[in-house]
Amino acid sequence: MSRTVNVIRMQLINRQTFIWLPLIILGASFLMSLAIYAMIPTDAPKYGGGAQAPLWYFFAVGIQAMTLSFPFSQALSITRREFYLGTLLTAVLTSVILAAVYVVGGFIEQATNGWGLNGWFFRLPWIWEQGPAAAAVVYFGVAMLLFVIGFGCALLYKRFGPLGLTIVLVGIGVLLVGAMYLVGRADAWGQLFGWIATQGALGLSLWGMVLAAVIALGSFLTLRRATP
Amino acid sequence: MTTGTHVIEVKNLTKRYRDVVAVGDVSFTIEKDTIYGLLGRNGAGKTTVMSILTAQNFATSGDVRVFGLQPYENAKVLSRMCFVRESQKYPDDAKPGHAFAAARIFFPHWDQELADRLIADFQLPMKRRIKKLSRGQLSAVGVIIGLASRAEITFFDEPYLGLDAVARQIFYDRLLEDYTEHPRTVILSSHLIDEVANLIERVLVIDRGRIVMDEATDAVRDRAANIVGDASAVDAFVQGRQVIHRESLGNVASVTVLGALTLADRERLAAAGLDVAPVSLQQLIVRTTQHAADQSALDEGALR
Repeated sequence: MSRTVNVIRMQLINRQTFIWLPLIILGASFLMSLAIYAMIPTDAPKYGGGAQAPLWYFFAVGIQAMTLSFPFSQALSITRREFYLGTLLTAVLTSVILAAVYVVGGFIEQATNGWGLNGWFFRLPWIWEQGPAAAAVVYFGVAMLLFVIGFGCALLYKRFGPLGLTIVLVGIGVLLVGAMYLVGRADAWGQLFGWIATQGALGLSLWGMVLAAVIALGSFLTLRRATP
Repeated sequence: MTTGTHVIEVKNLTKRYRDVVAVGDVSFTIEKDTIYGLLGRNGAGKTTVMSILTAQNFATSGDVRVFGLQPYENAKVLSRMCFVRESQKYPDDAKPGHAFAAARIFFPHWDQELADRLIADFQLPMKRRIKKLSRGQLSAVGVIIGLASRAEITFFDEPYLGLDAVARQIFYDRLLEDYTEHPRTVILSSHLIDEVANLIERVLVIDRGRIVMDEATDAVRDRAANIVGDASAVDAFVQGRQVIHRESLGNVASVTVLGALTLADRERLAAAGLDVAPVSLQQLIVRTTQHAADQSALDEGALR
């Protein structure tokens, strides 16, 4: 167990990838959003999608954690299981920190009425409609999902090459198209969108976490036979 | 359980990549506290063997035991080994200090003082990212992790790549010094045989995925001799012996013969006024491992 915890220390020895870069991306996209809000001459509330930027970065973090940290972990005589659990824990830790920053930012936004500009970066109504805890879960869930997708793609590339990765992604696309066909035949689009609407941001992100857990399990089984 | 003093036991190890046999039905043992030279040409299977021993790669068939146990996903076994590969990758933003700090966390016998001394010896730029280092500096990072980890079994995978002559000598000197103070098993893969000849206690020669020599270095050395002197006297002496190499300059010939020299041989040589010179390990290995059909291996540079 202590070796698994040490993998977190290994990942965080250089804080740039997991801490500073997401914070810089967040800060930059926040300041840019505010600058744009200040330029928009309206008294209506202004919303933007800039808060997504650091979440997407977690996709890149997932790729890096696989392509570069995995071979390095092998040189440190770390087992694949230790590496994988430690890396997932690192992602959990940093996703929690990021979610906390978002929630705190959301409260500040409320207190300052959108930074005095009526401009909302963190506190998007759709995400916050079920309260701050639900918003934190949404931010956390999205970051984790993107991380495991990035890690999984990099892993497929590593084990099966570009062809293997492409076949898997195309396969998923074909399955989705097939699902769309079935929904259309059952004339169930209305029901589907109704269901999505009732789930809300929290429900959808919980489903996203279920998906992340499935991908994470599949990645673990794939990693067990991966070579650096 | 470990049998006797063996720390590694390999039985019928085979590794196949589709149609290519990288390692073919290989069996050998590695003894405790010994420096091994894993020698062979590029692509002979050296890195593959070391990768499988450290569970970084997987055998197609066969059995590998390290400290009597399976190494795969076995933290107890793996934490006692260190293998930094020749083409080792490091995290994108890592500087050498980050890599050493991580190694310090995971190798229980890590010696920071030794690491610091080696950093100074190799003049390693600590402020530069690893991906910006030169080939030699990259090798130095691997060498420092390998030496300072003081793992019970340490693998060095062609550690000299890109290192200049001074840095290579530093590596050999430090390895020997530290080995004397802290005996451990070292497996050094190399194709610069003569450079490591004085360092290694046993040679394990791998050729086209097969072990073709597994002997004490001294025993290998005694297997052949250079006879030097007047050409006609040399010719008379080598009559009926297996000659593996011949050079001559004017009247003087130097002929390499296989087989240990007996006392009677030496008396005969002294009487004929001929000198006996040792054969370099590299020469001997090149000559004895070449394939009968593959005469091109006779070239001096065959193992370079």
